[in-house]
Amino acid sequence: MNMANATLQINHVTKRFGAGETQVMAVRDVSLTVAPGEIVLIMGPSGSGKTTLLSMLGALLKPSEGTIALHGTTISALKEDRLPDIRLRQFGFIFQDFNLLSALTALENVALVAELAGVKYGTAHNKATEILIELGLGARLHFLPEKLSGGEKQRVAIARALVNDPTLILADEPTANLDSKIGHEIMRLLRAIAKEQGRSVIIVSHDQRIKDIADRVLWLEDGQFKEMKTRAVDPVCGMSIEGEKAAAIFEYKGTTFYFCAKGCRDEFERMPEKFQEGGTGMA
Amino acid sequence: MIWLAVRNLFQNKTRFVISIGGVALALLLILVLDAVVTGVQRQVTAYIENSGADVIVAQEDVRNMHMAYSALPAAHETHIRNVAGVAAVTPIHYLTNLIEVGNTRNLAYVIGLPGEDGVGGPWRIVAGKTLPAVGEAIIDRGVALNSGVGLGDTVKILGEKFRVAGLSEGTETVSGGSVAFIAQRDFVEARRDTGSVSFFFVRVRQGESPEQIAARIEQRLDNVTAQTREQFAERERQVVNDMSTDIVAIMNLVGFLIGVAVMALTMYTATWARRAEYGVLKALGARNGHLYRVVLGQAFLSVLLGFSLGWGITLLLVVLVPRVGLPIALEVSGASLVKVGGVSLVIAGVSALLPIKQIAGLDPARVFRGK
Ligand SMILES: Nc1ncnc2c1ncn2[C@@H]1O[C@H](COP(=O)(O)OP(=O)(O)O)[C@@H](O)[C@H]1O
Ligand SMILES: [Mg+2]
Repeated sequence: MNMANATLQINHVTKRFGAGETQVMAVRDVSLTVAPGEIVLIMGPSGSGKTTLLSMLGALLKPSEGTIALHGTTISALKEDRLPDIRLRQFGFIFQDFNLLSALTALENVALVAELAGVKYGTAHNKATEILIELGLGARLHFLPEKLSGGEKQRVAIARALVNDPTLILADEPTANLDSKIGHEIMRLLRAIAKEQGRSVIIVSHDQRIKDIADRVLWLEDGQFKEMKTRAVDPVCGMSIEGEKAAAIFEYKGTTFYFCAKGCRDEFERMPEKFQEGGTGMA
Repeated sequence: MIWLAVRNLFQNKTRFVISIGGVALALLLILVLDAVVTGVQRQVTAYIENSGADVIVAQEDVRNMHMAYSALPAAHETHIRNVAGVAAVTPIHYLTNLIEVGNTRNLAYVIGLPGEDGVGGPWRIVAGKTLPAVGEAIIDRGVALNSGVGLGDTVKILGEKFRVAGLSEGTETVSGGSVAFIAQRDFVEARRDTGSVSFFFVRVRQGESPEQIAARIEQRLDNVTAQTREQFAERERQVVNDMSTDIVAIMNLVGFLIGVAVMALTMYTATWARRAEYGVLKALGARNGHLYRVVLGQAFLSVLLGFSLGWGITLLLVVLVPRVGLPIALEVSGASLVKVGGVSLVIAGVSALLPIKQIAGLDPARVFRGK
C-alpha cells in the first residue's frame, strides 16, 4: 500500500498506565496503517487494550511511545489544545451506549456537533436533517433519544459521527447493545459509508458475527496484534472462543458448534433451531 | 449552543421548578422589602411633594417633618416676603398628634392652615370643602371610613372637637397614620401659642431658581434653614432609609444567600447529573469554553426566569396588599430593580463556578469507558 496515501499510520505505539509496581502496559509496540475507505475490525478479549488503542487513535489519549499520523500529520505530537478541533473535524465517534444527549432530539443531537464546528444554526440543522433522512430516520427527527429504539439511536449516533465530514470513523463495540439483526444492519450501514463515501472505519468489537463486513480483522491480545486462532462464537451466549479451548462441542446438521460452557451446550441441544443462526460453527 | 442550555434547563421539571422558584423567592424577599421602604418614602413625602411650596423654611437644622419639630417666630413672615424673588409666603403649623373618633385613635400629622387658599393644604378632595374653617377639619378618607365617620361628624384633634368638613385622598401615611388639616386659629388656640409657626412655605416668582431664593432667605434671616421642596423630600426619604438600612441590609443578604444556595445547588446537581454528556461533548471535540457557555447560559436563564417571577409576584402584591386592608403601600422603584438585577447576575455567576470547575476536570478519554 502507498504509505503517503494512508489515512492513518500508527508506528510502534505503546501505552503505559501508572508507574512502578502497579504499571500496566495496555498497548505494546503496535503498528498499523489504514487506507482510505478501508474497514478494519480489531478484536480481542476483554482487557486486551482495544479501548486504549482506539482512544489513542481518536486523539483522546497520548501514546507513551510511538507516533500516530493522520494524513501525514503527526497528531500524537500536537499540543493538547489542537486536539479538540481534530476530533471534531477529522474523526467520527460511535459508542457502545450511543451517548446521545438526553435533552436533545435526534436532529438537535446531530446539528449540535455541526454547530460546535462553527456551522451556522440553520445550515447545521439542514445538514443534520439531510443525513438523518439518508439514514432512514426522516420520521424520527424530533424524537428524544428515550423514544428511539437501540438501532435508531445508533443510527442517530452515526449521523452525528458523519455530520462534520470526517475522514476516519472510530467505533467501540457499536453493536454490543443491539440484537444481532440490528447489529448487522448497523455494520452494513458502516460498510456502505466506508465504501460509498471513502471514509476509513476502525471498529473495536468482540462480536465475531460482524467479521464478514470488515476488509481486515486484527486480533489484539495483551496489547499486541497476534495471529488469529481458529475462533468460533458460542451460538447461545454469543461469546467469542478459541476453537481449541471450547468447553463443549456439538454437531448439528453437519456443522460443529463450540460452547464456552456445558450449560450453553445443553441449552442448544434442547432448541438447536432457535440458536443455530447465532453461532459460527466449522462446517 | 444556547438552545442546549434551554433544553437542559427544561429537561428536569422538578429541578427547574426548584431553581426558578427558589430564586424567585429569594429575590422576592429583597424586592418586597424594597417596595415597602419605597412605599413608606412615598407616603412620608406625599404631603411635602404635593404642598406646592418651592422653598420650605424651618428652624435652623430642621430639614424634614417626620419625627421632627420646628418653631420659627411668626414675625419672620414679613422678612421672607421682602426677599427678592419671593412671590408668596404661607405660615404652616404642624404637629404629630392623634385623631380620635370615639375609642379609635389614629396617628396624624396635624397641619394648621391660614384661611386664604395658599399652599400646604389638601391636594385631592373627594367630598366637602377644600379648606377648613374655624371648628372644621379635613381628614383622610380612609381614616374616616375605618373609624366610621363622615361629613358633619365630630372628631377630636389636639384634644379639641372638630366637625369633619372635607375628605381628602393621598393623605394616608405610615402605619395607618394620615395628614389632617385644621384652621390656623384653632391650631394656635389649642397650643396656646400665638407667637410661633412651624414652617414657612414659600412660592418663588416665575423664572427664579428655588435654590437661589433658599440661599437668599438663609442670608437674610438668622437661625433658619431654607431648602427647596426636592431637598426637603430627599431628607425625608433619607430618614426612612436611616431607619431601615440595617433591616434592609440583613434581608438583602438573606435573599442573596438563599438565591446563591438554591442556584448553586441546583446548578451543581444538574451538571453532575450530566457529567457523562459533557464528557461525550468533550470527546467529540467541544472545547471547555463551549461547555462553560452552556452552563452559564443555563444559570443566567434560570436567574432571569426567577427574577421575572419574583418581579411578577411583587407587582401582584403591590395590587393585592392594599386590597386586603393592610396599611402598607408597596412601590417598586427602578433603583430596586437595578439592584436586584445586579444581585441576580452575581447569583448566576457564582452558581456557575463549581459546575465550570467540574467540567474543566472532565477527562474526555473516559467516554469509551462508560459512565
Ligand atoms: N486509565 C487507566 N488507568 C489504568 N489502567 C488502565 C486505564 N485504562 C485501561 N487500563 C488497563 O489497560 C488494560 C487494557 O484496557 P482496555 O483498553 O480497556 O481493554 P479492552 O478495551 O480491550 O477491554 C486493562 O488492563 C485495563 O485495566
Ligand atoms: Mg473496551
